[in-house]
Amino acid sequence: MAAPRILRLMYRNMVVNIDPGTLIILIGLPALYLVFFGYGFQSLASASSGTSYLSYLAPGIMGFQSVMAGTVGGGLLWADRRWGMLAQLLVGPFTRLEYLLGIMFTSVIFGLAGAFVMMLGAYALLGGFHLTAYGLSVMYGTILLGSIFFGSLMLFISALVKSNNAYNSIQILVLFVVNFASTVFYPFSSSLPVPIQILFRINPLTYVADAVRGGFLGNLTAFDVEEVGVLAVETLVFLFLATRAYMRSNVSYE
Amino acid sequence: MYQLQPIGQTSEKVSEAVVVAQDVRHSYDGKSFALDGVGFEIRKGEVFGLLGKNGAGKSTLIKVMTTLVRPTSGKLTVLGLDPVHEGQKVRDRIGVVQQAESFDFTSVQGNLDVYGILWGVPKGERVRRREDLIKRFDLEPIRKQRSFDLSGGQKRRVQVAREMMHDMDILFLDEPTVGLDVIMRRELLDSIRNEVRRGLTVVFTTHNLEEADYLCDRIAVIDKGKIIALDTVANLKRLYGGKKTIEVTVAAGSSPNFYSKLKEKLEPEASVKAEGASAVLLSSDTKQTLQTLLELSKEEGVQLEWLNVRQNTLEDVFIDSISRPH
Repeated sequence: MAAPRILRLMYRNMVVNIDPGTLIILIGLPALYLVFFGYGFQSLASASSGTSYLSYLAPGIMGFQSVMAGTVGGGLLWADRRWGMLAQLLVGPFTRLEYLLGIMFTSVIFGLAGAFVMMLGAYALLGGFHLTAYGLSVMYGTILLGSIFFGSLMLFISALVKSNNAYNSIQILVLFVVNFASTVFYPFSSSLPVPIQILFRINPLTYVADAVRGGFLGNLTAFDVEEVGVLAVETLVFLFLATRAYMRSNVSYE
Repeated sequence: MYQLQPIGQTSEKVSEAVVVAQDVRHSYDGKSFALDGVGFEIRKGEVFGLLGKNGAGKSTLIKVMTTLVRPTSGKLTVLGLDPVHEGQKVRDRIGVVQQAESFDFTSVQGNLDVYGILWGVPKGERVRRREDLIKRFDLEPIRKQRSFDLSGGQKRRVQVAREMMHDMDILFLDEPTVGLDVIMRRELLDSIRNEVRRGLTVVFTTHNLEEADYLCDRIAVIDKGKIIALDTVANLKRLYGGKKTIEVTVAAGSSPNFYSKLKEKLEPEASVKAEGASAVLLSSDTKQTLQTLLELSKEEGVQLEWLNVRQNTLEDVFIDSISRPH
């Protein structure tokens, strides 16, 4: 008996994505952030706060995997439109919605798997840590939500843009702003310029990083939980927008 | 041995219609029609050719039949199903080789495997089909190569072979031989013929008239979104004849208006396609046409350098049919 159609699509999405180049970007880049930033800023941060910067950064990088997962989703749709596979799949035994769900679930798997690998890396670098079941469920639940959010965001972009250059440029810009205007690498500070403070506050990656960090360090606050709630609402909105844009988009560029 | 298995089995008559189109229209911009009132039937087990120039509407018609594009109006059934409201059921039973190339970023073998998985072909059967297709389509030397690194002809072969990984009742081929060399083209057409012998219905678009003549049972000539001729190849040739084709070349530097004067003197149904010093004449009254031609050349002092009378080919039919006002 054949596997359900969405599972077949997910399998295909993973098979065509698991090549050395993609894995280096997905796992290697966050791992490099963890090692270089972790050790590079360790002395600086420890001198000022007395806590381990690696402990601060590791959960941030785990949350950052949800952004990388989003790039997988957007990249898949973009490549399938660019190389004709979207049109080919849609004259096959799949509906548009199944195709979309296949991409979304694939993004989530990449996000969760990537975060798990980063957690193992952090374990090795920190020499061990203790996590509670509650903390773990908050961490991975938030990364799941974040993966859907950033998957939706990148799907929205890839459904609208019409050239490879535009897609790559927008993706680089979004990645930069989302990463560095968030609490992944450093905490929010009122000394930041106001526009950057606003970006920090509305950036969903801040909510992801804060909640994952709270679960990781065992100091979840009511504010972290509120942030997860806001993230859930934003995710729903962007999921709706992405679905709408994708359903209306051309399947190819003929 | 791999056998493509039609999903709907063979108790139906050979002449049963598997596609029925009535007054189908499609507009991309809401102003002009890419399909303008198309009507036809495709019968089970036949090779149905859609013949037309680039931009005539062939690919749009394929897209409408394969559920990729909704018809703006008209009635269409594919395998007795409505492609608009029962698209999934239609797609479960058809195979489509599109005009544009489409590949996953993996090897030739990987593309066949992944496609088989997408169609839910069980593992043992999938491997058997893959190996058979690699052999039949001569893909062994390139099986480990990435699909995007292949030549145009190799890509086309892989695309057609990939579609054969799954069962279907109708195979839609949108210009499948583009980029293939002569030998590979003939092999591909022969392999399609073999599948037809096993009960598969094939819808085939081309602007290559030799291919259409070689492969198709019936042909619809499509131009500006309308079907302007539809019949068997033999009947089409008969319909546009007893006409015969007269090829004529006059001496260089002869009267520049010679062919237009000739057209005026011929029967209204005759056509004259002139290009420089040469022309192709289509006429049902060959004897009268030749007589007129010879008399006019004498009157005008034009020397005939080449004159040939032959039976119509499909190319003559095609050129003649799209040249007429419709």
